[in-house]
Amino acid sequence: MDNAATTPVDPRAAAALAECLTADGCFANPSSTGHAPGNAARARVEKARAQVAALIGAEPQAIVWTSGATESNNLALFGVARAQRDRGRHIVTSRTEHKAVLDPCKQLEKEGFEVTYLKPESDGIVTPDAVAAALRKDTLLVSLMHANNEIGVIQDVGAVGRLCRERGVLLHVDAAQSAGKTRIDVGEQSIDLLSLTAHKIYGPKGIGALYVRRQPRPLMVPLIFGGGQEWGLRSGTLPTHQIVGMGVAYEIAARDMESDAARLTALRLRLWAGIERLGDVHLNGHPEKRVAGVLNVSFEGVEGESLLYSLPGLAVSTGSACTSASHEASYVLRALGRSDQLAQSSLRFSLGRFSTESDVDYAISALTEAVKRLRGLAPARTAQ
Amino acid sequence: MPALDYSPLVERHFAHPIGAGAWPAGAAEAAETAVGEAGSEELGTRVRFSLRTARGAVTEARFQAFGCPHTIAAASWLAEHLRGRALDQAMPMPILELGRLLEVPTEKLGRLLVVEDALRAALARAQTRQE
Repeated sequence: MDNAATTPVDPRAAAALAECLTADGCFANPSSTGHAPGNAARARVEKARAQVAALIGAEPQAIVWTSGATESNNLALFGVARAQRDRGRHIVTSRTEHKAVLDPCKQLEKEGFEVTYLKPESDGIVTPDAVAAALRKDTLLVSLMHANNEIGVIQDVGAVGRLCRERGVLLHVDAAQSAGKTRIDVGEQSIDLLSLTAHKIYGPKGIGALYVRRQPRPLMVPLIFGGGQEWGLRSGTLPTHQIVGMGVAYEIAARDMESDAARLTALRLRLWAGIERLGDVHLNGHPEKRVAGVLNVSFEGVEGESLLYSLPGLAVSTGSACTSASHEASYVLRALGRSDQLAQSSLRFSLGRFSTESDVDYAISALTEAVKRLRGLAPARTAQ
Repeated sequence: MPALDYSPLVERHFAHPIGAGAWPAGAAEAAETAVGEAGSEELGTRVRFSLRTARGAVTEARFQAFGCPHTIAAASWLAEHLRGRALDQAMPMPILELGRLLEVPTEKLGRLLVVEDALRAALARAQTRQE
């Protein structure tokens, strides 16, 4: 139940990937277009580019291969900011972004940029009005994630995109958690830059992409210099096998997205109904504006680390400090106004393509036992 | 130590805590029990000890804890070892020594101080009653 962390590679994507590894396969360098094997590899890469582009309503030439969403976010933020610093030095983002956006923003502050970190509403939504109010004459870029990695809440990036376009501000969207799970149309949603990854949607790890709008293409500088691949934006030999795996994963996602979402919504509601019966539990994030498979819940009267340790058969993520590198409770839940205790005692359940009703029922049963036991161990709260 | 990696002693006390929970029905906390509490849920650790005493010694100890596995294990270990100890020498060992015994990581030793505070509060109450 930790599919928002990563997913297994779909066997169909794995099979396509494996075709590009060995001497009898499509292993050649796709930049070696002077010979047939190189051209064959290039054809596979371009097919994958079209498959990825199709999922987000983009032209294939707008897709730049990267190593994953972290690199895509870094390329978008540093690429635009460093290339266009004479146009403006103000960036708008939100407090609930992934660290792969927040940390580059902090670095840009050191480089002379000013960053506004918007506080979301208590349901996790960053309103377009809040974005509009933050825009200034010198605002260069807005960076807003589509679906939040901890709570699954979906932002109205279309509305934000329209207002950014009207004000001549670029919009970057981190779609690592939403691609293949909810509809994205970069044209309709007025998105200029969009970060993608493969491994959250049954593709391989280590491969991602940045959508960079064409006509006009935002002025950007690369992070990695070298052979000039990917229109000079991302040098390095293209990993054909990973790209092909990502392409197949995205093609499957495009086809199955609606049916997967309907099934996962039903499973998520079943899980929530079971958890809600425990009482004194809180759903984190907007109840409807969310990706189908993600449920984040805080448990009153239960300490997070003990709760997680009581669930050895359940692979879930926690907002507890015990598993965080910073030893702090979830900054996302704190930004929503949750207390330290509720942030510490939160669990994220993320269901995926291979989750079943019996997985959900097992989770409800294990959770019920663990929460009841730990609440039974705790002193009565009236004594506090 | 990676997250959720505990010593065998912590694992044992967390899975089967000794003296955990309120007094069993029919043995309600009455005048002869001394209760001490420390910490807060907001700060992640809250511990309550309840001691029954006779002739200047602990006859039985129970605890309730909101806390991490190390906290629960420390409270359980203390509850196990308090029985029969004189009130003025009730701490079986210094709390930081217990931390070493349980292999509590340095950054979590503060939680053991909450356990100690709760126990000392209960012992102080018990001693006051004796006097």
